[in-house]
Amino acid sequence: MFEPTIEQSTIRNEVKPAVKLKSKLFKTKSTDLIPPFYLWSGLILLAIFTLAPFVYLFTSSISKTEELLSGHLIPHSPTLENYYKLFTGNGAGEFIAAMKNSVIVSLGTTIFTLFLAIFASYAFSKVKFPFRNSALFTVLAMQLLPSISIIAPLYVMMRNGISITIPFTSFVVFQTPPLLDTVWSLIISYTTFSLPFAIWIMTGYFQTIPKALEEAAIIDGCSRMGTLFRIIVPLAMPGIAATAIFTLLLAWDEFMFASAFTQSFDSKTLPIAIREFIGKHSINWGLMTAGGFIASLPPVLVSVFLYKYIVGGLAGGGVKE
Amino acid sequence: MGRSIGKIVNPRFMGRKQRKDLLFAVVLLLPTFYILFKTFLFPIYQSLVWSMYKYHMLDGSDVVFVGFGNFIALFKNHDFWTATYFTGYFTVISTVAELVLGLFSALLLNQMFRGRVFFRMIIIIPWAMLTLVNGLLWKWIFQPGNGSFTIILKKIHVLSASENPLWLADAHNIINSVVVADVWKMTPFMTLLLLAGLQAIPSSLYEAAMMDGAGFWKKLWYVTIPQLFPILMIAVVLRTIAAFRVYDILTVFTGDPTTSISYLTFNKAFRYFYLGEASAMAWVSTAIILVFIVLYIRLLKKNSHEV
Repeated sequence: MFEPTIEQSTIRNEVKPAVKLKSKLFKTKSTDLIPPFYLWSGLILLAIFTLAPFVYLFTSSISKTEELLSGHLIPHSPTLENYYKLFTGNGAGEFIAAMKNSVIVSLGTTIFTLFLAIFASYAFSKVKFPFRNSALFTVLAMQLLPSISIIAPLYVMMRNGISITIPFTSFVVFQTPPLLDTVWSLIISYTTFSLPFAIWIMTGYFQTIPKALEEAAIIDGCSRMGTLFRIIVPLAMPGIAATAIFTLLLAWDEFMFASAFTQSFDSKTLPIAIREFIGKHSINWGLMTAGGFIASLPPVLVSVFLYKYIVGGLAGGGVKE
Repeated sequence: MGRSIGKIVNPRFMGRKQRKDLLFAVVLLLPTFYILFKTFLFPIYQSLVWSMYKYHMLDGSDVVFVGFGNFIALFKNHDFWTATYFTGYFTVISTVAELVLGLFSALLLNQMFRGRVFFRMIIIIPWAMLTLVNGLLWKWIFQPGNGSFTIILKKIHVLSASENPLWLADAHNIINSVVVADVWKMTPFMTLLLLAGLQAIPSSLYEAAMMDGAGFWKKLWYVTIPQLFPILMIAVVLRTIAAFRVYDILTVFTGDPTTSISYLTFNKAFRYFYLGEASAMAWVSTAIILVFIVLYIRLLKKNSHEV
């Protein structure tokens, strides 16, 4: 009666290409469309278009200000002066505080999101209950709604402090102090935005784990919670890793909430700190590119080294904006 | 808690196992649902209520019910239409550019060649960069005089040495530059999505097309695009939804909030603190995006039925 209207394969089909990727890597294919000359021309253009701006960011950051002003694309006498200024000069304390806040906010968001989403995804993928698919698609819709839809009410909520009440009564269980200009306001709002996509990706991965494995564990005397942590979580590690990476990148990158909710370097994150390099009168491009390069390095390194998880996650419906 | 929900679905029709399942699901989902309700669903509802009120957060004036007054004022507001125009322009141009470039990049990266993993990895770099740094980087590239765009054009003699155009002089040029920045950052996302789709196309189809003597464009048009179509649609809808809310990059390029609806809404709320009007504007965005979300979910469901 309450059978899901959509086959479980909805999500599994999304994941399949990622699994296929590996086996196809080492085979020649008859699907090759493009003759070698065009292939390599295209690849070279692609590489230039992709890498040149990023390299330019780096070369600008190791150039002297005079060279930047006189229009040298490649620095004649590379220097780490800008980085030195960034970490010891005026405002270095603020930049370091922003780095610290960014790390706290991203890690905090990731931990909360994963903790909540693992349980929720387990329910969505392995337990039958009424309205399961409707609830899952509601979650998907929430993943795509823009942050501008809820930013003003959340701002007021953070300003007044969050009160946790028992639903339908006025009994307050717990009341936080005002949260504006604290890292908590960011952790809470980012968790709200990451939870939907985390649930969506992980439910997809959890569904690919055969039921027989769980049943075997239950026969061996494992409780349902036990099967979650002994069977499902270890097997779904690639999915959990993909979710963690997307959440980290999202929290590291987010700008709109951060610019609304933060006022001082108690809570300002890197995007806000870098935005402030655009001074009142002029931009110090050397310093700006150095700061931008430092701030971009962690997500770029994470993505390049954990590339395969990201590809799997994207195929599984992950959307990072 | 279990009992109160059990009532809705009439427990007489449920077995013991089903009731136990329901209770278990409720326990697992309760924290998530509570948080999403509190910090997502309720705020969306609240902003709908606020959109009906004159509500200024700081000046201490009374909160007055105005019905659809905020919406009417909004639709008469010239800035709002300018912002809508620019948002639409940005969304369409950047999505189309990303689709075309992403498709060709995906076709390139789907072939067999040495170093394929390397090329697949480097394309992820722009995508991983901070959106804000991406904006600043392109603003730097488009600087008049000593920005690299001008310098390169001078080196290849497209511009003479004395010329020095202002690339970011008016709103249109600014939006075009922001499109370039967005295309650079988000094409990899499109590429990776489409690449996953390309790998699922059975090679027998290409073999058959080859037997018929089809060349590159024919194979692309008669095999690749029809086979890829469901994923193409999904990718386009996803990018449209994301492009529509453009905000971060614009704040770097310009102080002019009429360049996007998000920018205008944000300024209304957090610069002037007109929460009522800002909520009305936010709801216009929400409504437009909801249409695309419904479309997206229907596409997903349709794909799963066909497969």
